[in-house]
Order: sequence, then C-alpha cells, then structure tokens
Amino acid sequence: MTVALTDSVEPTHAPVGRNDAERLVFRQLYETLVRFDCEGRPVPALAESWTSSDGGRRWSFTLRADAQFWDGAPVTARDVVVGRGGVGYTLNPIDARTVGVWLAKGSDDVPAFLADPALAVTKPAPGGDWPIGTGRYWVTGGTATPEEIRAYSSGGDTLLFRQASGKDARDLLDAGVDLLVTRDRAVTDYAATQSAFTVVDLPWDRVYVLASVEPPTTRLDGLEQAVRGEARRPQGGGFWWEELRACGPAPAGAPTASTGARRIAYVRGDPAARDLAGRIAALGGGTAAGLGPAEFSRSLTGGAGAGYVFALPRRVPEACRAARDLLPPWPAAVAPLVETRARAVVRRGQSRWTVDGDGTLHFVPQ
Amino acid sequence: MTFRTRLLAGFGVVVLVPLVVFGLGIRREMSGRLAAEYERRVGTLAEIVSADIVRQSDAIAARLNALKGVIAANGRLRAALIQGGDRGYVLDYAGDAMGLTGLDFLQILDNEGHVVSSGHFRNEFDRPGAVPPLGGPALVNGPTAEGSFLALVRSDTLSLPGKRFSLVGGVRVDSLFLARLVRASRIVRELSVHVVLPGDTATAGDAAQIVAEVALPYVALEDPPRTYPARLVITRSESLLGALRRNVNTWFAVAVLVSALLAVLIAGWLSTRFSRPMTEMERRVVMGDLARQVNHDIKNGLGPLRNVFRHFTQVAEKEPANLPKVFSERQGTVESSIAYLETLAANYARLYPQSNEQPTDINAVVREALRPPPGPENVDLLAELLDHLPPVRVDALALRRVIQNLLGNAVDSLDGKPGTVTIATERGPNGTVRLLVSDTGRGMSKAEVDRAVDDFYTTKKGGTGLGLSIVRRLVLDAHGTLRVDSHPGKGSKFIVELPSA
Repeated sequence: MTVALTDSVEPTHAPVGRNDAERLVFRQLYETLVRFDCEGRPVPALAESWTSSDGGRRWSFTLRADAQFWDGAPVTARDVVVGRGGVGYTLNPIDARTVGVWLAKGSDDVPAFLADPALAVTKPAPGGDWPIGTGRYWVTGGTATPEEIRAYSSGGDTLLFRQASGKDARDLLDAGVDLLVTRDRAVTDYAATQSAFTVVDLPWDRVYVLASVEPPTTRLDGLEQAVRGEARRPQGGGFWWEELRACGPAPAGAPTASTGARRIAYVRGDPAARDLAGRIAALGGGTAAGLGPAEFSRSLTGGAGAGYVFALPRRVPEACRAARDLLPPWPAAVAPLVETRARAVVRRGQSRWTVDGDGTLHFVPQ
Repeated sequence: MTFRTRLLAGFGVVVLVPLVVFGLGIRREMSGRLAAEYERRVGTLAEIVSADIVRQSDAIAARLNALKGVIAANGRLRAALIQGGDRGYVLDYAGDAMGLTGLDFLQILDNEGHVVSSGHFRNEFDRPGAVPPLGGPALVNGPTAEGSFLALVRSDTLSLPGKRFSLVGGVRVDSLFLARLVRASRIVRELSVHVVLPGDTATAGDAAQIVAEVALPYVALEDPPRTYPARLVITRSESLLGALRRNVNTWFAVAVLVSALLAVLIAGWLSTRFSRPMTEMERRVVMGDLARQVNHDIKNGLGPLRNVFRHFTQVAEKEPANLPKVFSERQGTVESSIAYLETLAANYARLYPQSNEQPTDINAVVREALRPPPGPENVDLLAELLDHLPPVRVDALALRRVIQNLLGNAVDSLDGKPGTVTIATERGPNGTVRLLVSDTGRGMSKAEVDRAVDDFYTTKKGGTGLGLSIVRRLVLDAHGTLRVDSHPGKGSKFIVELPSA
C-alpha cells in the first residue's frame, strides 16, 4: 500500500507526532498498551487482555505473548512503565508480562490516557536512528529517505509512505497512491471526481480556538463558512480545557501589555487558522497577522497580541499535561471557534485500515 | 600705483568684465528657457495623468462588464445567488474571478449592500460594503485581514430574478499605481501624485507646488456608506528647478573664478616678466659688469694712443728732427683712437650701444685695426685678406671691437714668447664672410674652450674675462656665429662668420 503524506516527518519526534503525517506514520510503528477505535472502544494493542479491581482503581494489563521489539528483544512490563506516569495514575510492573495501572480515582472504562502516544513503548536505536518500537511495522534509517519511508512487517507486507509536502497532493493521487489523509478541500473535491477513489470523513479531531485576555465581545458568526475546508460549529458540552480544576490552580501569570493594535495572530501555514483570524478581524476590526511557529509560540507565551487563533485536539488523553503543553501560561479566555476534521482519500478496494478514536488511521498487516 | 598693479587691474578689467557680462546673459537665458520648458512639460503631464485615470477607469469597467457575462453563464453561481446555499463556492468565487480579471479589488454585494463574495478579503462576507456611484470612478478603502488598501473602483449591476447585485471592482492605488500615472517622470522627475482623502491635511512638503488636481468621490465604509469628495493631486517640487538653477549659477561662478584666477596668473607672470625690479645684488652685478666693459673698451682705445706717444717720445729723444714727420704719419692712428673713444663715450652715454649696421668692407676694418700692429715686436703678425669679398652688414665699430679683442687675445696667448698671429678673411658657406684669427700660443683645453666665451672667465693673470664675452655678444648682435678651434700647446683659432649685406 502506498500512502501519501502531506506533512514532513521527523524521526526525532517519535513516538509523539506533531502533525497529521507524523501521527499517521508513528501510529503504525509504535504501540501503547491499548488503542481506542472510532467508537471509543478499547482495542488490544501491546496488551492482549486486561482486568480491573478495587472499584476500577487497579487495572492489570497482560502483554501479548509475542510482544517484542523490532530487534527481537522481548517486551517486558518494565519496558512499559520505566519513566512513565502522570497526574492521577501510576504504572507498576506486576510481573514480566503484567503491567499494573493504579488510578487515583476509579474508572469503569479502560483509562483513555493509556492510548496516549507519549506512553508508547520505544527504546533508542544506535546512532540516533529511528527509535526501536514494538509495532507490526518497522522502519530504520536505511528504509527512509526524505522522499519516502518504507515500513516493513514481519509477514513481508510493506507500507510505502510517499512525501507530498510542498507539492500538489493531487499529483500523487494521479501517480497511483492508495491512500491520502488531507484537510485540503481542493484535494477531496478532486478525488470525488475520480472513480478510483472514495473519500471518507474522519472524526472531528481538531478544535480551533481564540485565546485572548478577555472573551470576544463581538458575535463571531459565519466562522464555519470562513474556513475553506470542512468545519462546523463546536458541539455543546465541555471541552477538556474547560475542566482543568483537577490540574491545580489556574496559571497566574499576566500577559505582556498589548501593543495597542488589535492583532489576531495565527501560525503561518495553517490555512484554517488564517481564515478564522481574517474573519474575526472582519467582524471585530483589527488585523490578522501570520507568524512563524517559533514566533507564534513566543508571542502566545507573552500574550502581547489581542488574540491568538490556533488548533487544539478535540480529545486529549491527559488534560492536565495538554493544558500545560498547549495553552498559554496566562489566564486566557479560550473560546472554541470551529471544529475541523481530515478526510481520507482511499483507493477503492483498500480495506486494511481502521480509524482510531483520535482520528488517526491504523493499518493492519496482511 | 605701481606698474604691476596697473597691469593686473587692466588685465582684470579687460578679461573679467566682458566675461561676467557674457556669463550673466547666458545664465539668464538658460534659466528662462529651462523654466519655460519645465512648465510646458508639467502641463502636458498633468493632462496625461488625468487621461490615464479615465483610461484605467474604463478598463476596470470593461473587465466588470466581461465578468457580468461570465457570471450570467455560470449556472452554479446563479443558482447559489438566487436560491442560497453552496456558500463556499460563492465565497470563493470573487477571489477566483479577481485573479482572472487582473483586478485587485472585487466585491459582489447584495441589494442591501452586504458583501456576498469578496475577492480581496474572502472572509468579509455579510459585512457592509461600499458601493460607489455608477458611471464613474471612485476611491474606496478595501479591507483585508492584514489591513486595508486604497482602490480606484468602478461599479456595475447584476440583475437576477428577484435579486439585484452590485459588482464593485478596481485596482490598488498604491505608490506603484501613482508612480505609473507619472511614468513620464523620466522627463519631469520631481512630479508626483498624492491622494488627498477627506480629513487629510498635508499633501506634500512645503517645497511642493500643486500643478493639477483630479476630483474623485471617496466612498467611506460608514453605516450607511457615505460619499465624500477626494482628490488626486499632482504636485511638483521646486527642488529640481531650483537645483538646475543652482547648477547654472554654480558653473557660472566656477567659470568666472577660473577665468579670474587665470587672468591674475597671466597678469602676474607678465608683470613679473616686464617689471620685475632688480635686487641689490643683481644691480651690483650689472653695474660691475658695465664698469668692466667700459674699462675694457677704454683700454682698447688707449692702447694705440699709448704706443703712439711712446713712439713720439722715442723719436723726440733720438731723432727730434723727424718728429713732425712721424707725427704726420701717426696722426691718423691718434685720430682714429680718439674717434673710437668718442663713439664709445657716446654709446655708453645712451646706456646702450646703438647699432649702426650697414654694408662694411671687412678687410678695411681689419686693416684699420692692424694700425698700428698690436703686440711686441717678437710677434709675427700675418694678414691674409681675400680680395673682392662681399661687404658684410655690421656696425663697423662693433666689428673693430671684435677684431681688436680677438687680436689682443691671440697676442696675449703667446705669453710674451715669439710666435705668430694670423688674421685672415675668406668666403664662408651660404654667402657668409669668414674672419679667422689664429695664434701659435698656449691653446686651450676643451673645458677652457667651453667656458671661453663666458662672462668673467679668463686664464690670463689680470684679465677681466670679458673680451671673448664681448666678442660673442657683438657677433650675435651682427647675426653671425663664433667658433673656437683650439689645442693645448698648439694654439687657437677663432672663426667668425658674418652674413653678407
């Protein structure tokens, strides 16, 4: 199967992907104890079975019998727990093949954080090569080039990831790729005209927000139309950033004094954020300003602009860590703007893939 | 006022005054023509700018008209505009159409003036837009996400069943647009165009001068939009004309200064040449030189007299009876010497020897100089005079001085020893007459020959060093040449060539 990637992939980010392409590639290479399917049901991954006790506070996960690293070393419970843990839970090796998860608060369901890519089991490879994982597919520096990544399975199956970053993804469709995940409406519109492909909606996985000192006073209407892609108004219910009481006191830092201009900042290269910032500027006055990723990050930390438009994951395995990593370090009013999702363009007849709960595709080796 | 000062002043007046008058006239003429040509071109360019705006406006209108036809043929857009829906397509439409039509500003507005689709700012939909009056250009502010820009726009209407839309399209009015309006600025570089919107106060610097204005309506994005008068103001800066005039003045001043400097230098050089006073040292040298020359000439005149009187004395002592006879014989010599001295005295009285050049028989002068023979008796004096020589144009007195000096030098070179002094005349080359005075004396080395005719150079004890120097000057005054052929121990030969009359 040939898969097109619309973003660049940096092996040093593994196993936590920072863009759609890295999430797609890393999902095939690195495993967590469990995965969640698109309906939120736990699916065996590195662990083949699990039990709970003590009112859902103690969970035991049994590693699958053939769990091993790509280099052939068996995966032990110690490999799973070393260096890992988080707010409200601990990981403990019960025996060589059993991992215990102790929760501060009991849960009837398998904890979602166990599918957090940050908990994927890896070990460093010699020479700074791709980290060695436990997934069904493996990659090394010898099988990856800037143009393509070849991932092999023990059964002889091959996934070919072909880089389309900076190019017109439609060219890859014409060149014979079997699957492409995109948020570009032009690509999906084009694929819809091609009988060889079908376009599959993926879960709504991203929420664009406006972070500002004060909540927006202008009525922000027409936002979902402003985005030149598939977007919808945020669904009702609380988002994870609205329920952070368990994470301790809110950040107390004060934003840097505003420069005076009503500037709506966004990350240059994110078309949805650009469209939303432009719409907000049109509705409330002010101007939109595209910043480079590093500059945007510095500006968001300082809080000198009138507002920041950026994307947050719709669901996160661990809200407290996500808040620390993704939200500004000052008491910001975070207003959800629109939700977006990617769409998969799939060659008809390709069925060896599923969708995880976070919207990432998972390929099943033959 | 000294001569030098008078010379300087006169030269300055003669050179500088005409120069200044001439330069002022040229400068005035150039400035006048420059200003007139500048005004003419500015006026022409202002007309071009006005016509250019009309042309731009017509071009925009033509593009909007073409776009109307395209929209009418677009069933998808038509359906979306009439029935609603397909919002994404409608919102993107103006952007695509704007790119295809080459416009910078394009809005489709509904009959309430709200933006349905915007090319320059896709996400301003549903916001009030500015609809300029039909039929002419207007200025509007085009908002974008990053700011706003000024645009020159035209409007048109698009009627669909039950709905009426406005098409507003235009081009960006930025510095490039304004610069293109004055693209002839290669000719009139200081011309510029400014947009003066309502509320603007300053348009250009103090040095700028408005040469033309084009009135345009400005549609402000107020609620409801309102129209105000605005202007495109064509200004020119005085700096170019001023700079040109300054250049003319500068070069004029430079020319005058250079001419004045040259005049002063030339006048100074001339005055120095003509009127440089002698220094005390120079004066003393000249006076000394003159005194030596006088002394030398007088000695030459007194020498024969002394010999005659010595002869008279000897006759009076030994043969008194022959005294009248001898007196009679030597009377001519005495009178000749006295006449020579009188002429010398007359010449020195005028401080300059007056040349009395006339055809002269050189042999006669030689014979005159040989009476009485110069030198002691142990000197053999030979005269080899060629007859029938052409006369030479020379002052006879000067020629005699030449001969006497050469003969005197020849005798002196014998140092009192027996020897021969020969004086000869012959024809020279190119019609000249040659006078040769040779001796068998001590002769001169080459270095001595090279310096023989220098003033005050002498090898004789008690000599003045003026004899040969005087000979050289006299020969040169007679347009002749003097050469010396001498060998140490063998004697010298002085060769004088004089042009025939």
